[in-house]
Amino acid sequence: MLRFIATRLVQSLVALAIVSVVVFVLARATGDPLYLILPMSASQEDFDNARRYLGLDRPYVEQYLSFVGRAVTGDFGISLRARRPVGELIRERLPNSLKLAAFAMGVSLAMAFPLGIMAAVRKGTGVDRAAQIVSVLGQSLPTFWVAIILVEFVAGRWQWLPAGGISGFSSYILPGFTLGWFVVAGLMRLLRSGMLEVLDSEYVKLARVKGVSERRVIWMHALRNALIPVVTFAGIYFAILVTTAIVVETVFAWPGLGRLAYEGISSRDFPVIQAVVLTTAAIVAVVNLGVDCLYAIIDPRIRYAR
Amino acid sequence: MKRASATASVLLLILALMGFVLAGGVSAQPKTELTVALSSFSTEVLDPPLGGHLVKYYLSMIFDYLVGTTPDGQPSRDGGLATRWENSPDYKRWTFYLRKNVKFHNGDEVTSEDVKFSLQRNIGKRSTTGYAGPLRTLIQDIETPAPDRVVIVTKEPTLIIPTYLSRSLSTEGMVTPKKYIESVGDDVFARKPIGSGPYKFVEQVTGSHIKLAAVDNHWRIGTPKYKTMTFRLVPEEATRIALLRRGEVDVADVSRERVKELEKEGFPLHYRREEALLTMWWVLGPDGRTGPTKDKRVREALNLALDRAEIAQSIFAGRAEPAAIPLGLSWSFKEVGFKQTPDMLYPYDPARAKKLLADAGVGSGMSLDVYAYQLPGLPEGKTMAEAVAGYWEKIGIKTKLIPVDYPAFRKAWFDRSVPGAVGYFNIANRDWIGAYALLEKQAYTPSKPSDTVNDPEIDGMLSQVMRQTDKDKINTLIRGVYARLRSEHHGVPVVYLHSPYATSKTLGNWNPGSVMYDLFLDVLASGK
Repeated sequence: MLRFIATRLVQSLVALAIVSVVVFVLARATGDPLYLILPMSASQEDFDNARRYLGLDRPYVEQYLSFVGRAVTGDFGISLRARRPVGELIRERLPNSLKLAAFAMGVSLAMAFPLGIMAAVRKGTGVDRAAQIVSVLGQSLPTFWVAIILVEFVAGRWQWLPAGGISGFSSYILPGFTLGWFVVAGLMRLLRSGMLEVLDSEYVKLARVKGVSERRVIWMHALRNALIPVVTFAGIYFAILVTTAIVVETVFAWPGLGRLAYEGISSRDFPVIQAVVLTTAAIVAVVNLGVDCLYAIIDPRIRYAR
Repeated sequence: MKRASATASVLLLILALMGFVLAGGVSAQPKTELTVALSSFSTEVLDPPLGGHLVKYYLSMIFDYLVGTTPDGQPSRDGGLATRWENSPDYKRWTFYLRKNVKFHNGDEVTSEDVKFSLQRNIGKRSTTGYAGPLRTLIQDIETPAPDRVVIVTKEPTLIIPTYLSRSLSTEGMVTPKKYIESVGDDVFARKPIGSGPYKFVEQVTGSHIKLAAVDNHWRIGTPKYKTMTFRLVPEEATRIALLRRGEVDVADVSRERVKELEKEGFPLHYRREEALLTMWWVLGPDGRTGPTKDKRVREALNLALDRAEIAQSIFAGRAEPAAIPLGLSWSFKEVGFKQTPDMLYPYDPARAKKLLADAGVGSGMSLDVYAYQLPGLPEGKTMAEAVAGYWEKIGIKTKLIPVDYPAFRKAWFDRSVPGAVGYFNIANRDWIGAYALLEKQAYTPSKPSDTVNDPEIDGMLSQVMRQTDKDKINTLIRGVYARLRSEHHGVPVVYLHSPYATSKTLGNWNPGSVMYDLFLDVLASGK
């Protein structure tokens, strides 16, 4: 197991190195950030001064080596737009995204588990059909539309919940639900299909024949075996929720990593773009590793070979 | 049993949510707090030389200017640190007399040394405000003969110094504490700014908000009505409006489309009338105008082809006025004595436009690339570009819409790599000095690469303005520039945009003013 983890860590580092090159090149391919930083009335002298002051006049190789050299120590440079250390911006915003993603995942799991299990156990009934409708709606309604509808009606017109920003537990509900609903749909369908497959298996039939209670059959025997794809999906989606909730964070004025990425991209803030992409890649790598390790715990048959 | 437990867990979840719904209901905004929701914060940097060229709303609360300005853009001896100023007979020495007993938020007294330090810093090479360059060229020295006196010595005679250092333009005139900045450095200062304004910095969460707290009794506004002022960054308009409805914000910038709906609900709407001029221009080639637009008749035809009244009504929801003068910033017209007469407004006359094209030998063979992009404060940008392209198609011009983002167009414009292509901007309206600064960049051939006009007669007029000390002569020159811009059709002025701000029903009277990038929230908060 340790060897497996060590190998995966090395692979992740290689992947991060490749990502750093790709993001460095692609960010600069978007254009000159000075056209956004400097006003229309800026002169050529202003451009030259700013370029020099922001270090954008150095050769690309020098810029890259400087960026990588500092990044390994956790220093991602200074934001061109905010003029603050990028590391500080990420430290400020990442916890907000983690909290929102955790809330969204909590909501998703709290809804998906009972729905998925009931849909499987009560296959073909009204409960099953209702769960499938929830699933279809969750996967087909665009996130931005759901977000704006909730803001407009639930927050704005009916005034039931806060509209935006972070201001206590209630401010998590609308953005968390918006983010989580899509995940509920996927989780529920996976769980339902996994449970259906497992409930039809021989060992479950044997358990029933032996007189094991239905509750124990479902929760102790069937569910555990149906969990593996669900764990994979939940893990991957948690990483996605943390790093790419741009639309939800923008609509709900949530100062998270997704919005930082959007602000960086739209203002061609190279240090921010590079740092956010690397942070995202690192989060995905860590989460994937964690998910793989969790498999071994859930299913003792899974062992990572020498 | 299992059904009951599943049902129970769902019911518990619903009850928990309802609890938060009931607990999180609308709370009335305390009257001691003012919260402003904005769609953009520009750079979010709280250091004047770095943060002031797009949004000054919160900077004007934290810092005082050397020269004050009234909400309608006139220099004011009441609103700045200088209680009076005078020029030498040769207009090369400007003496500013400072207000006494003004303190920074850390208790240090504001002196002439701070003013000198601030000016040098604000116009230094690190500045991104856009007006630092002309001041760097012009200012020879800054003297501090007494703690309450600053003398600015210029290389050439000039009238521009007080206005350039006032609230009516950018942030060059903002005064910052020398001792504090020298001890903590620029980076710390940008994160924990200290000024002498009516509100002091409390906290900033980038991407979220900037919170300020009132100074107890400030010379500018007395005892302020609002103990705190918070600027919230809320990019999505639906969210800003929802916050307004919930009473969580007091002021929000809104789009023109939503004005009617908000008015029906009883929310007061305040306008910054003619806040920006939406104007289009043709990119010059390396040696000036190229192609069909070299011919004045073609330029006139392209103007006559537009139905500006329809554009103002249908695209800008009636919150815009047809414009007549290319690069004509109307907030400067009164100051320089320029009268825009009814005959200057372009009529919608596609028939005459077609005839002019035919007379110019262009007919239906002409093609135009029209760059289409959104801009801050102009979500209708692409729609407007499409509409204009449609009008030109109707007079036989083949247009090609090129959707890009603005920086890509700006680069092409500055590089002159797409001669004849059309771009546009919503240029913030401003007073005569600001208008001159803009003309000097966009209508003055030596200002390559940003020039869009290439007219020797206009070059001659503009070159005289900066060094002219007779205001009447300056006015005559600028009037001449506007007249020629119009008569030679050096661009396509579309509309003047009115910018709406919705406020809470309890806010009361508010004049957001007609000064570039400022909302005069200190006047709203004034206890005087």
